[in-house]
Amino acid sequence: MTTWHSAQLGIRTSGDYFVSTFLFGLMFGIAAAASGIENWHALLMSASVFTASGQFAALEFWTAPLPLGTIALSVALVSSRNLLLGMAMTHHFDGHSLRRRIVWLFLLNDPGVVNSFRMQEDVDRLGYVTGYGVSMMTSWLCSTFLGLNAAYLFANLDLGAVDFAGPLVMATMMMLFFKGSKSRPAPWIVSGIIALILFELGSADYLILLGSVLGGMIVAIVQVRRDYG
Amino acid sequence: MVDANATFIAIAMMASIVYLTRVTGYFIGLQLRHIRGIQPVLEALPGCAFMAILAPAVRQGSISEILAMACVVLIMWRTNNVVIATGVGMAVLLFGGPFLDTG
Repeated sequence: MTTWHSAQLGIRTSGDYFVSTFLFGLMFGIAAAASGIENWHALLMSASVFTASGQFAALEFWTAPLPLGTIALSVALVSSRNLLLGMAMTHHFDGHSLRRRIVWLFLLNDPGVVNSFRMQEDVDRLGYVTGYGVSMMTSWLCSTFLGLNAAYLFANLDLGAVDFAGPLVMATMMMLFFKGSKSRPAPWIVSGIIALILFELGSADYLILLGSVLGGMIVAIVQVRRDYG
Repeated sequence: MVDANATFIAIAMMASIVYLTRVTGYFIGLQLRHIRGIQPVLEALPGCAFMAILAPAVRQGSISEILAMACVVLIMWRTNNVVIATGVGMAVLLFGGPFLDTG
């Protein structure tokens, strides 16, 4: 399948996450308006940063004077899973120029990567993930715009109940990954157990992420070594 | 009120950081790809990251949040429908929370 057709396939199959991304964009627009950011600054942020978790993290510190170091650190921490998404796609973006890969990686997105593992072998993964990303970006920008302009309607609404929406959407991706990926589940189970142990020990979030990913990685390596004898 | 210059600097900094995380992981993978059998290890990583975020979130979740998560997992298991799963989960949070999380 050509890159163009794979990108179209990415756009066509992104409907589910288009809706959930729209919901988050709406909430981001409302939260950004409440933080006092000008509308076009918030839209610029959505267009250039393009990550829900990072943008929400930044909003928590959006007061004058801006604590740039704190914002940088929190955005880096919540975006660190992008490192793992990029690593997972290492063997799947071949056949494209380095320049194209560098530019198109801007649109690397979780649901696109997760769903790309469920596609047939002949689908061009870079095209697919980028098409998916175009759809997510469209949803993210439109919903941010709507949220910013409709924020006054939600001025009295308590959005605290939907704080857990992020983990819910992540759970949908985990389930798609679990059912669609060829990977065996042992590394993920070990990661979850290590994350729980570290959480109970009161570890910082970044240590929980680091420890559980390292644990899962070790299990995956042991599995591979066993397979190769 | 945050001034415009500081806002631009912050947005440019955030965009650079996030883009770097996207590109860096891929290039680290390219350096490792010659290692025999590395592909399944790399492909397992996103699931590990999801679990690292999900497990503590569920552990500290309220009754309605745990119930919402259970609904999402069950619906995804049976139907693979993200919209229905997320919609039901959100409905449990919004309408079940006031009843389930009292006290």
